Amino acid sequence: MANVSFHAVEKAFGTTKVLHGIGFAIDDGEFVVLVGPSGCGKSTLLRMLAGLEEITAGTIAIDGKVVNDVESKDRDIAMVFQSYALYPHMTVGQNMAFSLKLRKAQPNVIQERVNHAAKILNLEPYLDRYPRELSGGQRQRVAMGRAIVRDPKVFLFDEPLSNLDAKLRVAMRAEIKALHQRLKTTTVYVTHDQVEAMTMADRIVVMHDGRIEQIGRPLELYDHPANLFVAQFIGSPAMNVVHGTIRRSGGGTVVDMGDGVQWPLLDGPGVEGQSVAYGIRPGDLSLASSTAPGAVPGEIVVIEPTGAETELLVQAGKAQVTLVTHGRPEVSPGERVGLVVAPGKVHVFDQTTGERLAA
Amino acid sequence: MSAGFSWRKVSTEAKLLLIGIPVALWTLLPIYHLALFAISPKDSAMSGHLWPDHPTLRNFVIVFTQQHHYLEYFWRQMWNSLVIAVAVGALTLFVATGAAFAISRLRVKGGRAVMNLALLTYFIPAAFLAVPMYKTMGVYGLLNTQWALILAMMAIAAPYSIWVLKQASDKLPYELDEAARIDGASPLQLFRLVYLPLMMPSLVAVGTYALLLAWNEYLYAFLLLSNDRELTLGVALGNFLAADDSPWELLMTTGLIYALPPAAIYYAFKRYMVGGLTAGAVKS
Amino acid sequence: MASVALPENGSLPDGSSGKRAWSPWQKWGVILLAPYIVVFLVLVLYPVGYGLWLARHPASYVKLVEDPIFGRSVINTIAFLVVAINIKMAVALALSGFFTTARTWIKWLSVLFILPWAVPSIPTILSFRFMLNPEWGIINSLIFRYTGLDGPNWLNDPILALSLAMVVHVWKSLPFWTLILIAGRLAIPQEHYEAASVDGATRWQRFRFITWPAIRTLYLTCTILSMIWTLGDFNSVYLLTGGGPADLTHVLATLGIRYLRLDQVDLAMAAIVIALPGILPLIYFMMKRLSR
Repeated sequence: MANVSFHAVEKAFGTTKVLHGIGFAIDDGEFVVLVGPSGCGKSTLLRMLAGLEEITAGTIAIDGKVVNDVESKDRDIAMVFQSYALYPHMTVGQNMAFSLKLRKAQPNVIQERVNHAAKILNLEPYLDRYPRELSGGQRQRVAMGRAIVRDPKVFLFDEPLSNLDAKLRVAMRAEIKALHQRLKTTTVYVTHDQVEAMTMADRIVVMHDGRIEQIGRPLELYDHPANLFVAQFIGSPAMNVVHGTIRRSGGGTVVDMGDGVQWPLLDGPGVEGQSVAYGIRPGDLSLASSTAPGAVPGEIVVIEPTGAETELLVQAGKAQVTLVTHGRPEVSPGERVGLVVAPGKVHVFDQTTGERLAA
Repeated sequence: MSAGFSWRKVSTEAKLLLIGIPVALWTLLPIYHLALFAISPKDSAMSGHLWPDHPTLRNFVIVFTQQHHYLEYFWRQMWNSLVIAVAVGALTLFVATGAAFAISRLRVKGGRAVMNLALLTYFIPAAFLAVPMYKTMGVYGLLNTQWALILAMMAIAAPYSIWVLKQASDKLPYELDEAARIDGASPLQLFRLVYLPLMMPSLVAVGTYALLLAWNEYLYAFLLLSNDRELTLGVALGNFLAADDSPWELLMTTGLIYALPPAAIYYAFKRYMVGGLTAGAVKS
Repeated sequence: MASVALPENGSLPDGSSGKRAWSPWQKWGVILLAPYIVVFLVLVLYPVGYGLWLARHPASYVKLVEDPIFGRSVINTIAFLVVAINIKMAVALALSGFFTTARTWIKWLSVLFILPWAVPSIPTILSFRFMLNPEWGIINSLIFRYTGLDGPNWLNDPILALSLAMVVHVWKSLPFWTLILIAGRLAIPQEHYEAASVDGATRWQRFRFITWPAIRTLYLTCTILSMIWTLGDFNSVYLLTGGGPADLTHVLATLGIRYLRLDQVDLAMAAIVIALPGILPLIYFMMKRLSR
């Protein structure tokens, strides 16, 4: 087990720079998720940690030792690939034993480790099968088994669940998390799916265009996104964002949309006349009658019941906002309603920099 | 309705047969003619019949027991053909597999340039390269040795083999190599334990291709070898042409025997050959 | 944001002063590539260079052009390329359609159809040669039996002999090109044909608007590649006619070898070098197609 640190890491392919000075540290035993849209550099960063990509500038250290010039095989890491990369000509057992065999481990040690890993992952009945004879979820577990037998310092996962169907993905998510709680091995996990990031991570690193946007615990990011990008990336359904100007007059502070709609800011940050992006999560909106005082008037566009929750798409002035409620509201499309903003749940960002305005 | 439909079906089948029968005749005629000679007694071979009155295996006996001065070295020449073909197959595989692995998987610097040079070689018409190859073998002092033929055929078979193997290995997921690297494999272990087993079908196709190319080759064998004891069976067959009193039925019998192994090998490995070779032949 | 204090200057592994020497991966790449590089240098580059060096005298070209056999060979070669290849490719295109028809017997026939390509040239070409023998060949025997007339002396007429060499060439290489075009046809998604059928396309329209656009490039590539290879086809002419009668059926491939056998290597090489302006564009085209 080990800690991992990135210091001013940069990566360029030819003249194209894809990572701009990445620096952060991962504690021993921590489960860190790198998340961001495709092309943000998260996979490249992971592959640099794995030793599969050259490091253009900066240093990466595992357990305090700089590994820039250390071969992958000497970094004591194990990696689970998106495509699993199982050796098609080897059985499940041989796949898991391969790394130990290459390291010239004793046959009985190999046997014991493979059996142990197979037991943890419920792969015991499949040890003599070939990867092509397994289901997607089983292959995924073999890929993890191959990592576990090594007992490495760091586990690396590169979008390991994206080839699974939705149901299996949820199950494997829990399995990986349980595995981490059991083994307590430092883990770096790359995904583009913010739900995976939220549910699995001890800490999340949100990346965008080769830069870190924010690092923090899942709920920290959810409750206090540092900027507009993080605000819109984390959370599902995504945060509603409308653009307007702060007006501190008359009946309290509002953000004026310029189309007759005013969103209440209450004691939120910002100065008179400032152009801001006003963010409110769908769950922090609730329905009221269209005439309720302080409610934002709107018109129901679409109603999407999902059983436990109901998602409503509401036209408020020029903007469309989403509202999620636990009940089953008795409304119909075209109906005029009022939207009530939960106090203290408003996020305000500078319109030009996208940075969060301090309260 | 149903009657009309069935008439249409009959006419479609008839049209297909109208193509199929001529195609079958065209394909088989020279081969049948070869076999006809082989089972005909000497005097009736040239009678112009489509089936001999007294089919016989006597010609095969004469060939196998080398009972004619043209056939003095039959077994020896058969052996030469075999040795040369196997050597070319093995050497080509050795050279091409390493090169394809280095270019496609290790992405060695300059690999692309080497691939292009190989392709360029592939596009030199064989008969054009034969002249300088003959002179070069003279310079190397290899003329009239089987090494000359083996090396020349390898040089001719290797480019296409590298190309086919590279095409096939480009299709293997690159993550396999990365997984192996992380698992601790050295380049050679990756080659031996992961690459070779996965490339087996293509290796069979390429090995067979080189082997058949060498076995079937006439021009280079005819130029580079001259001693009767060193000749391949193909060149020995060509030498029958030199004389007017050639025993045609024996020539045809020997020809049939010479043609059988490549046909058998082709059909045995057809599964690998068709997919493996045509896919790389012309990338569409 | 937490930042671990890195040891200044890093604890870089020894010997790595910034830029690493060749990784074992590059090193092994070079080692595994080396055998072919040696093969290329010794068995391709040297012969080609040596050959060009042998062809350096302008006098060789004068002598070559003055040789009437050369002029005839050039005409024969062009005729061979234009006629044989176009017939071969057109037939291969048609047959590829026939062989992609779903019938069990056609599948079996396609297995048989490969034979000419799989077996060596020499026995089958000799078989052709004996069939064409004017006195006792099976063709003239049959002609005599059914008409009482003597058949033509097939290989004694230069035009007829060259045409028959083309027939032999087509017989030998037709299966290969048909196979390639079959592969090309099979790569066309079936839905395209289904959609066309729904739209009411006739057989010809299906070929014209779906098959042909999909395999047009492949067909052109095959034609070019076949031209290159046919230039190097020594067997079809040499084994059937031997260049005769009176050296009137030579093509460049057999002419070069003829000069070589006559110990006129400079003429042999000159004959090849003279053909280069014709081949190089073809090779350039193929390189562009394949090395993408």
